Amino acid sequence: MTATEPQFVLAVVLGTLFALGTFLVLRRDVVRVVWGVTIISQSANVYLVTMGGFAGGVPILGHGGHGGGHAATDPLVQALVLTAIVIGFGTTAFALVLTYRVYEEHGTIDLLELGDRA
Amino acid sequence: MSQQFVIAPLLVGLVTAIATLLTRRFGRAQVTLSLLGGLGYVAAVAWLVSSVDPLGAGNVVSYQLSGWQAPFGITLVADPLSAFMLAFSAVVALAALVFSASYVDSFGQRVSYHPLFHFMLVGVTGSFLTGDIFNLFVWFEVMLMSSYVLVVFYSGPEHTRAALHYVVLNLVGSAVMLLAIGGIYSTTGTLNMADLSRRVADPAAYGGFSVAPVLGLSALLFAVFALKAGLAPFQFWVPAAYRAAPAPVSAMLAGVVKKVGVYAIIRVYFTVFAGAAISGLSLPGLSVPDGGSALLSFYGPVLFLMAAASIVVGGLGAVGRDDIDGLLAYSSIGQVGFIVLPLAIAATATSQEIRVLGVAAALVYALNHGFAKSLLFMASGAVYDAVGTEEFPDLGGLSETAPWLSAGFFVGALALIGIPPLSGFFGKLLVFDAAGRTGSTVGIAVALFGAILTIAYFSRAWNRGFWGEPSLLVQHGEARFSLVAVVVALALAIAVLGVGFDVVMRAAEAGAHAALDRQGYIDAVLSGAESAATGGGGGH
Repeated sequence: MTATEPQFVLAVVLGTLFALGTFLVLRRDVVRVVWGVTIISQSANVYLVTMGGFAGGVPILGHGGHGGGHAATDPLVQALVLTAIVIGFGTTAFALVLTYRVYEEHGTIDLLELGDRA
Repeated sequence: MSQQFVIAPLLVGLVTAIATLLTRRFGRAQVTLSLLGGLGYVAAVAWLVSSVDPLGAGNVVSYQLSGWQAPFGITLVADPLSAFMLAFSAVVALAALVFSASYVDSFGQRVSYHPLFHFMLVGVTGSFLTGDIFNLFVWFEVMLMSSYVLVVFYSGPEHTRAALHYVVLNLVGSAVMLLAIGGIYSTTGTLNMADLSRRVADPAAYGGFSVAPVLGLSALLFAVFALKAGLAPFQFWVPAAYRAAPAPVSAMLAGVVKKVGVYAIIRVYFTVFAGAAISGLSLPGLSVPDGGSALLSFYGPVLFLMAAASIVVGGLGAVGRDDIDGLLAYSSIGQVGFIVLPLAIAATATSQEIRVLGVAAALVYALNHGFAKSLLFMASGAVYDAVGTEEFPDLGGLSETAPWLSAGFFVGALALIGIPPLSGFFGKLLVFDAAGRTGSTVGIAVALFGAILTIAYFSRAWNRGFWGEPSLLVQHGEARFSLVAVVVALALAIAVLGVGFDVVMRAAEAGAHAALDRQGYIDAVLSGAESAATGGGGGH
């Protein structure tokens, strides 16, 4: 039972993060929307790590003699998350630059005002 | 056997993208390199297509990157289905590239138009070829990152707004896709599509996991693919983004990038998840027949509703538009409905014959839409280039001042309406045939309604933009030869495809067989790895 405990805590944290992200995405302020998207994608990453489970030992260090007995935690999900984080950095940077550009073009970052000018 | 050709289009695209990035300061050289790269890409795809041989035996070839065995490493798979999609994408991409060489102004060329275009092409190619769902996510991101920048390319007020919506929506989509992939991995224990297909078909042999969560997660994944394809409840980003992007980029977005979503739907649901059987699934109003493909028949009604809604929403939206690009963007929502409608029929069909027919109809329609819609977007770009506007109230009489351009537009419109002998006729015919053979009255009615709407909005576009007295703006505008030439060349290609339809049909059928042949796909990907492993490391 103790092995599943961290997962339970993480599930609660994940739920909170997703809720926070969704709340921010629904704001009128573009910067908050971008923060919301970033939080959502980061919580997707945390979720991905959780999917690997925490029952085992450290993947690479535990592989040798010291790990003995129990299996290692799945290292694949950590590789996946690494990829996802890199992609997330790129897209977040782009979204922030785009926000700045939107401010330059429209003189506002209020989504409702953006809508009026179309 | 040499299987390196699978990676050839990817490498050509990547090398071209980097080369054009490095030669950014040397205008002419960069454009020449970019065009050469486009030609090289077409050649690489031709090599791939001829090696896969979709008109003959139609083999499935897998390439294990770095020699890592299939379920563990990343696999690239080329089969008649991906060869079909790649082949028409390559032709459309080359046409768009030639068009943009003279359409995009020299400043635009300098600010990295060409590298972005090629990176987008690399993303599209990777999505068609990958045999791994996480890798599919990565290629989607490669494709989307470049398309974000291309949508905001002119960076005016409208463009930043459209790009903002497009970016935020796709970022949320990406997060959802990650969630679905993570869940599928955690449930089934694999990411490789062939391995996944094997496991969901026989969960008892692989640790006895439950298939029901896979259905939910695959539905989450489906929403992301539908977003990429611009299917009905997820269509709202399409018009703004297509109008904002430069004409050749809209041509690529509508003609090729949308088809990546369609391809992903075919590949993932007809090849990977088709074998999964779910017992005890009872949803209100949804009958799941017994048999091996219960998961697929869950998607039948879903696909059907989305296709019908797309046809109606897209068609009605297009009729009301007052500018060419807006009309074409809405039309492309409707046309994707036509592509997905036969897929819905194929998903619920019980006989193999109708399944093949349905998927083949979708492929033929995707090809027709790829050619015709990219032609129309480029024609609209050429009109804008000549006249300086694409609002119908300011246009009129283009057929007098620019007869060839108008002829090209006319052919594209006829192809989407479905007039013989153009390729669109056969696409429509196959859609109706598939609906008719399963006795789906509602399907026929929706398709008929959509077809009538297509005629309505294109005749309206023709009447207001191309016929009648030339307006003042039109009289002073002159269409550039190089732009018109691309449009006319694509129009000829559509006519040639229609006349030589036999070849297209055989290729589409081979693609449909490949999509439905789960065992063949599994064998090709997984046994190829084992033979490579036993064959020793001397392969390279």
